[in-house]
Amino acid sequence: MPVAGSSKVQILHMYKEFIRNSNKIQNYNFREYFLRRARESFRANKNVKSPEKISELISEAEKDLGVLKRQSVISNMYTFDKLVVEPLKKR
Amino acid sequence: MFRSVFRAAPALTRVSGMRSGFVKPTFSVASRFYASSTLSKDEITTRIADVIKSFDKTAAAASITGETQFSKDLGLDSLDTVELLVSIEEEFDIEFPDKVADELKSVGETVDYISNNPEAN
Repeated sequence: MPVAGSSKVQILHMYKEFIRNSNKIQNYNFREYFLRRARESFRANKNVKSPEKISELISEAEKDLGVLKRQSVISNMYTFDKLVVEPLKKR
Repeated sequence: MFRSVFRAAPALTRVSGMRSGFVKPTFSVASRFYASSTLSKDEITTRIADVIKSFDKTAAAASITGETQFSKDLGLDSLDTVELLVSIEEEFDIEFPDKVADELKSVGETVDYISNNPEAN
């Protein structure tokens, strides 16, 4: 594993926050966009080894997470019609 | 002046008597309200299996038992495992605390945690 112990756990927790907050977004297109972006960007950087780069990426992700949290809260203040591609009821 | 109070009193008891008579049958039928998970382990396992199957990365999701390990048997990396656990959380309407989630490595461990969690449904 390229990332050392504590920061690996920290990054995984951050990834979880990204997924959780993305799932809360009401609008299908934005929700899928944030999920896709979280998955892609975490995976794109999974082989980064230099500690400086890692801490730089972490602080960048923290900023993005702030944006995402704000947007997911805002999206819950409005109602969105479901798109035809969305299942009406989960399960 | 007092007479109106006396007159009101029997009427009141009558109403309350009627109400308790009305409530009684529902009270005896009412189920317990204290927390207790009603999910059986088999049910939890099937539902987790369904979540894993709908999680498109896992080709080897055909046979899922308690011993199935997320990383070894399902070929998930750490990011996938986190994502799968979030889907399982949503399925059961609970949130794994970070400490618990870090320790969950297999389907069996997850089933145990959910069956001991009274809020799961």
